[in-house]
Amino acid sequence: MAETLPDIVMMHSDALLERARQGDKNAQGKLVQLWYKRIYNFAYKFFFDHDLAMEVSQKTFISMHRNLAGLHETARFKSWLYTIAVNYCREELRKRKASRSVSLNDFPAGNEVSYRWETSSGRSDNPEKQLRHTELSDLLQQCLMELSAEQREVVIMKEYEGLKFREIAEALQVSENTVKSRMYYGLDGLKKILEKRNITKDTLGYEL
Amino acid sequence: MSYKPDEGTLVAYLYGELDAAETERVRQYLEQHPQIREQLQQMGDVRKLMGALSDVEVIAPPVFVDHQQNSTPFWKAGYFKITIGIAASLLFLLVAARLIGPEVTYSNGELRISFNNTTPIAEQEQQLTANEVQHMINQSLVKNNETIAGSWEASNQKIRESLQRNLDNNSARIDKLMAVASQASQDQVRTFVAGLQEENLKLMKDYFQLSAKDQQMYVENLLVDFTKYLQEQRKQDLLLFQVRMNSIEKNTDQFKQETEQILASIISNPEGAIRKVNNY
Repeated sequence: MAETLPDIVMMHSDALLERARQGDKNAQGKLVQLWYKRIYNFAYKFFFDHDLAMEVSQKTFISMHRNLAGLHETARFKSWLYTIAVNYCREELRKRKASRSVSLNDFPAGNEVSYRWETSSGRSDNPEKQLRHTELSDLLQQCLMELSAEQREVVIMKEYEGLKFREIAEALQVSENTVKSRMYYGLDGLKKILEKRNITKDTLGYEL
Repeated sequence: MSYKPDEGTLVAYLYGELDAAETERVRQYLEQHPQIREQLQQMGDVRKLMGALSDVEVIAPPVFVDHQQNSTPFWKAGYFKITIGIAASLLFLLVAARLIGPEVTYSNGELRISFNNTTPIAEQEQQLTANEVQHMINQSLVKNNETIAGSWEASNQKIRESLQRNLDNNSARIDKLMAVASQASQDQVRTFVAGLQEENLKLMKDYFQLSAKDQQMYVENLLVDFTKYLQEQRKQDLLLFQVRMNSIEKNTDQFKQETEQILASIISNPEGAIRKVNNY
């Protein structure tokens, strides 16, 4: 979460939401600016794919623009927005399963070094550190991709998007206990995956 | 020690989303169950590891603010359209009913919906028998035939009359035209011939006059020329005659002189004169 404090305050500003809800285009634009990164990152972590993440983000905000007037409780905006995003993510997932086409980019590389790691993210940081960081991120992302979609949703929402269990339950329209249970097994699954790949705090300690 | 927190509660504890009392109970439970605590500890480690997965930077695409009017005018609103639609249908039905005049009656277990009051005719028509109908048809056919024949005859007569009339008219007109034409031609020929004769006469007269004058002039000229010629001829003859006369005169004079000389010489010298005469 790299948002600045004023941004976070604005993201939950009832006044802004109210104005957007009443059709204020500027307020809606502001909402998109504030939430775009969150929704994009949610979708990116879910798919580990930039294009799909962009697609889902755009669809989510188009849908937000159309349906915002129907949202009566501004307090529920966050979970409402994630509901839309999750639904589009699931839709894309179904499409990909239906078409059964596997991109070579997404092919699991196993223990081998993926060429994807070689792509530069273009940050003007220490290149070696940057590369190591990218490698680590991709490695962890691959671990995340090994979880089931249901567990992945919950883990991302909780761990990276910082939603409360209640909000996740609202967003996914399941009970809070189900969410907690999925979270538990998600973490458990991750632990096993990390062990399998021999990624521990000790092996990565120098990077953390 | 019957308390045993379920997985959900443990996860909630891990994320600190339990209330104080519940948190305390779980904490106590974990103290007594090190393996569960260990397990939870490992999960915490997983969280820390996964925490290294950072956000991807992304720039939100520009938002295009469209200036579409959200407040639609009342006549475009759905409820207004529906109301107007219903009102229009009702009005249409009322007008249609007024024009058609529908009548719904129920009698003798028979429901009848009718438009316009045209009731009794149907019953009268039903009383006609087949024969009557046949008779009526025949009658009307005969009448029809008669009318057709009559009209045919009349028109035929009319056509014939008009043809005859046209024929008469045309022949009379043609005769008249012919007569006029012939009359006209006799007169014309006569006048033409007369004109022709007159013209010829005039031409002849002119010709003769002209030719007579010409001949006269020609003859006069001829006479003049001839007299001129004669005069010239005489003048030349006279000249010639004069010249001859002159030359004769000259010859005579010369001869006279010679004779005188000879005579003189003879007289002076009779002998020499004789010799000279001999030599001569």
